[in-house]
Amino acid sequence: MNIEYEFEKLLKRVEKPARYTGGEVNEVQKDPGNCSLRFGFAFPDMYEIGMSYLGLQVLYSVLNERDGTYCERVFAPAPDMESLMRERGVPLFTLETKTPVRELDILGFTLQYELSYTNVLNMLSLAGIPVFAKDRGEGMPFVVGGGPCAFNPEPVAGIFDAFLIGDGEEAVVKLCGLYESWKASGEGKASFLEAACRTEGVYVPSFYEPCYLETGEIGGVKKLFDGAADRVKKSVLWDLNSTVPPEKCIVPLIETVHDRAVVETFRGCTRGCRFCQAGMIYRPVRERSSDSIIGSAERQLKATGHEELSLLSLSTSDHSEFEPLATRLMAMCKENNVSLSLPSLRLDSFSFKALGEIGGYKKSGLTFAPEAGTQRLRDVINKNITEESIFGSVSQAAELGWGTVKLYFMVGLPTETYEDLDGIAEIARRIMEACRKGRMKLTVSVSNFVPKAHTPFQWEAQDAYEDFVSKHDYLKEKLKIKGVSFSYHDSCMSVVEAALARGDRRVTAALVNAWEKGCRFDAWSEHFNYSLWKEAFEEAGVSMGYYASRKRKYDEALPWDVIDCLVSKEYLITENEKSKSAETTEDCRQGCRQCGINT
Amino acid sequence: MRNKYVIKLAKGGYLKYISHLDMVRLFKSAFKRAGIRLTHSQGFNPHPRLSLAQPLPLGYSSTCELLEFEISEDMKPAEILDKMRQAVPEGIKLLGCGRAAEGKSLAARAVAASYEVRIPLDAGFECDFGELCENFMKQEAIPALKRQKKADVKKETDIKGMIRELQGEKVDDNLILYIKVDAGNRSNLSPELLIPAFASFAGINTAREEMDVTRTGLYFLR
Ligand code: SF4
Repeated sequence: MNIEYEFEKLLKRVEKPARYTGGEVNEVQKDPGNCSLRFGFAFPDMYEIGMSYLGLQVLYSVLNERDGTYCERVFAPAPDMESLMRERGVPLFTLETKTPVRELDILGFTLQYELSYTNVLNMLSLAGIPVFAKDRGEGMPFVVGGGPCAFNPEPVAGIFDAFLIGDGEEAVVKLCGLYESWKASGEGKASFLEAACRTEGVYVPSFYEPCYLETGEIGGVKKLFDGAADRVKKSVLWDLNSTVPPEKCIVPLIETVHDRAVVETFRGCTRGCRFCQAGMIYRPVRERSSDSIIGSAERQLKATGHEELSLLSLSTSDHSEFEPLATRLMAMCKENNVSLSLPSLRLDSFSFKALGEIGGYKKSGLTFAPEAGTQRLRDVINKNITEESIFGSVSQAAELGWGTVKLYFMVGLPTETYEDLDGIAEIARRIMEACRKGRMKLTVSVSNFVPKAHTPFQWEAQDAYEDFVSKHDYLKEKLKIKGVSFSYHDSCMSVVEAALARGDRRVTAALVNAWEKGCRFDAWSEHFNYSLWKEAFEEAGVSMGYYASRKRKYDEALPWDVIDCLVSKEYLITENEKSKSAETTEDCRQGCRQCGINT
Repeated sequence: MRNKYVIKLAKGGYLKYISHLDMVRLFKSAFKRAGIRLTHSQGFNPHPRLSLAQPLPLGYSSTCELLEFEISEDMKPAEILDKMRQAVPEGIKLLGCGRAAEGKSLAARAVAASYEVRIPLDAGFECDFGELCENFMKQEAIPALKRQKKADVKKETDIKGMIRELQGEKVDDNLILYIKVDAGNRSNLSPELLIPAFASFAGINTAREEMDVTRTGLYFLR
C-alpha cells in the first residue's frame, strides 16, 4: 500500500491534520537507506502534548547526533484519525518518513503518566505489533520504556522488552551501541536483551518472575537469567554540563501546549516533600552552569525563532546562582525581543522585582502550592511553606497590582482531618480579607493525593473514591466566598492512577481489558471512562482498592523493589516515621540527610 | 518612510495542512530565525505588522499567496528573500519579494481569487465538459448549502452572483475545473460551497477527499 497516498486522503478528513504530517522546521531528515538503526521515539499522547515535552527534543537530538541512527517521532493519533486508520488499514507510522512503526528497530515510549498506558497498547496495536513482549517474534522491533513511570514498571512489565530507568541521555546511546553489535552478530533477540541487562539502568522484565503469597502479597522474585542484576540501579547523568542541551529544537507548525524555547537549569530537588516522586527519583541535584544555560538559550532562540523562553527545573529559584542568572537572562531576552517566563518562583523581593520587569503577571497570576491547609499537615508532608509567607507575598502582590492568585492543595494526604480542610478555606478567606480593597481573584485548585513508588508515602493508603467526593463537597461549601473559585481533580481518575502507579504484574490484565473495552487518552477528562475501568478490573479479578487504598507494611515486598533509585528504603521509612509526629526534615542543602544518593 | 514589503509565495506539500493562523505564526518565527525585525503595532497588545492577503482554506495548495509586512530597517528585497528562504520549512516556496505600494493593505483591497480543482473521475465518466460548465452557469440560480454561523444546520443560498468564471477540461482521468470567485471583505465565496454544487449538478460522485484544490490567483482593487 502507498501509505503517503492513503495518508493524504485521511488528512483531508481529520481535525488538525498537521498533527500527523511532520515537516516542521528543524525536523531531522536522513536517508533511511543509510541508517542501520531506526529508532522511534513514541509519546503516548497527542502531538500537541508530546511536542511540548523537552525530554523529546533532548533524546531526539542525542539520538540523531549518532551516525547511522535515525530517530523519528510517533504520537498517539486522536480518536478521529484512529478510526480512519483502522477503517482504511493504515498502520501507525513515523512523522518524519511515514515509515510503518513495525519496521523500526527500537520503539521507545516515554511514560510520563500512568494514564497514558492504554495509549501505549493502542499505538502498538495500530502499528500491527503484538502488545505482549512474549508474542513478538524475531522481526519485530524492541519495545522500550522510560520516564518517571518506569520507576514502577511492573504493571506494564509484560508489554515492554526493556526499560531504561533514570536519565536517558547516556543510557539510550549505550543501548544503541549494544543494538548495533547485536545486529552485526546475527544472533536472536534474547541475546540482545542478555547484553542489555548488564548495562546500568536497563531492566529486562522477562528475566524476573514474581511469585505471590496466599495473602496476595509478593512472596519473592525468581531471576530467570543469572546475568541480570538483583536490583537495577537507575542511570545517572552525573554532570549535566557534559551534554549539550538541544538547540535546533523542532518548531511545531500548529499551536501546542507550550510554544517556547526551554532550557533545563538543574535536575533534582533538595526539599524532600514526602509525597513527591520527582523529588526522590531525580536525586541528586545537578546544575547546569549559568554560562551554559544562557548560551544554550540564545542559540535555541535563534534556531527556533520562538518568542518566549522558559526555564525548566523542579523549583526555579533553587539554582545556586539564580539571581545573577535571571538578571542576565532578562537582559538577553530584552535584547532579542523575546519574553521570559520564570515558572514556580519562590516569592521573595527579588522575584517580585524580576516578575515586575518581565511582565509575567500579565499572563498568569501568582501561584503558590501550600499543598495542605494547616501547618501541622504541611509538617507531615514536609512542605516548607508558612502561612505568614503566603500572606506576606499575596499582600505584596496585591499592592503591586496583581489581580489573580492561584493556590494548589492536595486532599487525602496521610493523617488529614476535616480541620485541615477548614484550613484551606481559612487561608482563602484571610487572603480575600487582606485584599478587600483590590479586586483580587483567587482560585483554589485541589488535586487528590496519589501515593507513588519510591516516596516516603509509598506505603500509605489512598482515600477511597467516596472520601474524595465528600471532601470536595465539603470544600465546595466552605469556599463559597466572593471572588474565590474552586476547582478539583476528578476522583475516579486519581483512583485508577493510584492502582496503576503502585500495581504489580497482576494489574496488567486489567489494563489490557480496559484498552480492549475502548479506554484511550485517560488523562483527558473528556475521554476518561471510569465505568469501563471498573469493569476491566472486575473482569480481570483484580481489586483496584488492593493497590490504591490499602496501607502496606514496611516489610511487605513492593513491586518496584527491583528498581534501585539510589534512595534507600531506610531513609524512606525514617521519613515516613517522622511524618507521623509531624516532624520536618530540612532541605538537604543545609546538610546531608543520608538518603543514600551520596554513598 | 516605512519599510513595507510583499513576498509572493507558494504553499504545497504537507504544509497545505496548516491553517491561516498557523501560517502567520510560521512567518513570525521565520522572521526571527532570519534575524529580520518586524515592526509592531502600537497599543496595549502590540502585534507584529505581518499579514497574508487572503486566508487560504486548510488543505489547499497555492501558487500565489501574498505576505505583507513591515520591518524596522530598510533592506534590499533580494536580501530579505535570501534570508527568509533559509528560514522557512519545506512546502513553502518564496517566489519573489518587492516593496509594497503605499495605501491600503492587500487584505483590504482583495476582491477575487481563482482556483484549480482536480477531480478524479470514475472510469467511463464521459461528457462534454465545455457544455457542462456552460449549462451549469446558465442556471437561473445556483443553490448551495451554507453552514450557519451558530446552529449546526445548513441553509441554502444562491451563489451564482459570486462566481466570476467557471471552465473545465478533462486531463487523463481527471476533470480540472478552473474557477474564479469573489474573495474579499465585500463578497466572499468559498470553493467549498461551489464544488459540491457543481459535482451534484454534473452527477460526479467523487469523494471530497480525492480532490485537490490549488489557488492560482488573487485579484485586487487598485
Ligand atoms: S519542592 Fe517538594 S514538591 Fe517541589 S519538586 Fe521539590 S520535593 Fe517535589
